[in-house]
Amino acid sequence: MLTAENLQKAYRRQAVQVPVINGLDLEVKTGEFLSIVGASGSGKSTLLHLLGTLDAPDSGRILLDGKRIDNLPNCERDALRNRTFGYIFQFYHLLPELTTLDNVLMPAYIGHSVTGWWKTRSKWRARAMELLTRVGMGHRITHRPGQLSGGELQRAAVARALLMSPRVLLADEPTGNLDTATGDEIVRLLRELNRDDGVTIVMVTHNLDIVTATDRVVRMVGGVVTEDTMPKQSSFHAPLLAAV
Amino acid sequence: MYKLLLCVRYLQTRYLAFICIVSVMLGVATLIVVNAVMSGFSTKLKDRLHGVLSDIIIDTDRMDGFDITDTSGKSLTPDQIIQKIKDSPAGPKIEAITPTIEVFAILQFNFRGQMLTKPVRLIGIDPEGRASVGGFSEYLVRQHGDPKPSFELTPEALKQHEHNRLQRERLSALEVPNVPMPKGIVSDPNAIPEPDENTMKKDMPVAKLHGIIPGFTLAHFRYRTADGVVVEEAALKPGDDVTIFTVGGLPGAEGARMRPVYGTFLVTDYLKTEMSEYDQSFVYVPLDQLQQLRTMEGRCTAFQIKLKNYEADKLVVADALREIFDPRSGARVATWEEHQGSLLTAIEVEKSILNILLFMIVGVAGFSILAIFTMIVSEKYRDIGIMKSLGASNFGVMSIFVGYGFLLGTVGCCLGTAMGLWITDNINEIEMFLTKVSGKQVFPRDVYYFKEIPTNIEISSLIYVNIGAIAIATVFGLLPAWRASRLHPVRALRFE
Repeated sequence: MLTAENLQKAYRRQAVQVPVINGLDLEVKTGEFLSIVGASGSGKSTLLHLLGTLDAPDSGRILLDGKRIDNLPNCERDALRNRTFGYIFQFYHLLPELTTLDNVLMPAYIGHSVTGWWKTRSKWRARAMELLTRVGMGHRITHRPGQLSGGELQRAAVARALLMSPRVLLADEPTGNLDTATGDEIVRLLRELNRDDGVTIVMVTHNLDIVTATDRVVRMVGGVVTEDTMPKQSSFHAPLLAAV
Repeated sequence: MYKLLLCVRYLQTRYLAFICIVSVMLGVATLIVVNAVMSGFSTKLKDRLHGVLSDIIIDTDRMDGFDITDTSGKSLTPDQIIQKIKDSPAGPKIEAITPTIEVFAILQFNFRGQMLTKPVRLIGIDPEGRASVGGFSEYLVRQHGDPKPSFELTPEALKQHEHNRLQRERLSALEVPNVPMPKGIVSDPNAIPEPDENTMKKDMPVAKLHGIIPGFTLAHFRYRTADGVVVEEAALKPGDDVTIFTVGGLPGAEGARMRPVYGTFLVTDYLKTEMSEYDQSFVYVPLDQLQQLRTMEGRCTAFQIKLKNYEADKLVVADALREIFDPRSGARVATWEEHQGSLLTAIEVEKSILNILLFMIVGVAGFSILAIFTMIVSEKYRDIGIMKSLGASNFGVMSIFVGYGFLLGTVGCCLGTAMGLWITDNINEIEMFLTKVSGKQVFPRDVYYFKEIPTNIEISSLIYVNIGAIAIATVFGLLPAWRASRLHPVRALRFE
């Protein structure tokens, strides 16, 4: 479904080129829950940004259903990010001025003109409410991000990522800023979504414990994939998997 | 949709934005107040400049007045000239017309035993005719608004005149009679002969009880008491006599021969236009008296014309009149605006320069918007990254901040307009309050001759100010908005 072929990406720091991705190949299958692990600086987040068209590779190709997407015009890449990909970030990244409900509705706001929104607003509100209830945030819709806990923020971010029914969910260390119990809750939620809704999930993490909940683990070192295996189930996370 | 939502939310939650709003508000309010006051001054000044002038003025510098001849070469009288004008194509467009004589003169009168002289502009008029062309009876103090004003003396004025006469007689009785100088034993053949008073007075008009209407300032002294109160004291009361000295012409073989002439008149009313130039120099006397005094019976030096529709017909009538009054003969035909051209242009220039200067205030507000927006954009780096990750386009992100600038400008303009209109409406109360607080008069009424600060709110100027201010707020928001749109989403998301 989502394929990366010989990806290269380097960042320029002053006069020095720092290579981050070095000829990486990866294929994500439809309905798969893939986790990418690796040390800091191994290029995990950069890969996620490249896959989600937030950034463009220096060379190589990214294909979605066999169609190249890395060289699309800006407007088409914007539309892909709005409708096909859903993003979850380590630091939640909710807009502080908006309520939880408005934050969840933001992709629909972006995807519609004022008149288009006005015509379909009740449908989108209902969808947002349904998602918020599903992630256990139905009672916090009028609260601002400043009034929510880390776990609640991340659950709201998940609801936002799901609003447009994306085909691929890209999660960048979704539990990185949460305590273990809350992190487990989020992973359980993602697992549920993957199993029940068939959403393809690519999750970047450096927490080896939570990868046991995923279908496949890819290890990255120095900007290339060094290991591509089924996860080992740790005893600590057995109850987590049993629950889902 | 998200652009509108975020613009409104940023406006509601970013307190920095209020600084921008206040900047725009103050700029707009200042512009509105200054424009209203300038326009008020300008309108009032225009009214006053038009004031004593009729719509169209025909005048000549010739001392003996117009010399318009008929087909037989005979000079036409003012009435015949008026008939000629009425018969011309301009005739049907004219509502009223009156002949006048305008000449410089010296006004002399006695005030508390001192003989005072003042240079004046002496105007001979037919009071009814002058009133019919406008700008006369509405400025008279006693006969204010009277459609048929006159130079007649009131019983009180005659009483004052009688009182003055008796006073003079009593004083002259106390004077020591002149002792004639002894004649020289041997008469000097080159000596100038003693003047013969009878011969001198022969050609001089006998002082009659003719009325005169001097300008209010000419007839009054204005001074400030120790308490700071402005007092106007009449130097010339109705019934007081004044002497006018001017030049008269005697037709002779080699043209008009000029000689000094004088006449005595009694004050009957005052002219109060509140335009200092007129009030301190204009003096009206009966036309026939001035003609007689200057020995130019059947002649005049100017015609004042009132049109039925000034704006529509002014140019056509002026052109038609130029056919009758040949500019080569020294006659001038001008509308009142052409007559006061330089003053009116000066007012307009002053207003436009002031507007340019004041728009710089809004420009300063624009720079504060630029600075504050740059700060807001820096603060919103991460939000911009989030929005881009959710599919917002570069143009969309730019629109948020341009729209934000537009919204700040609009809110600032609305508040500024309300504030400006309120200040304009209460400007006199504010001025009095400031005078009370500071102890210094902000608007010296005796300098401007206005009872209160004149204001005039022009809708067009309100619209221009608002459009200009909103445009400045939007344009100054463009640069930070463009920077925001160029921000790389990955870099923005990593921004701490």
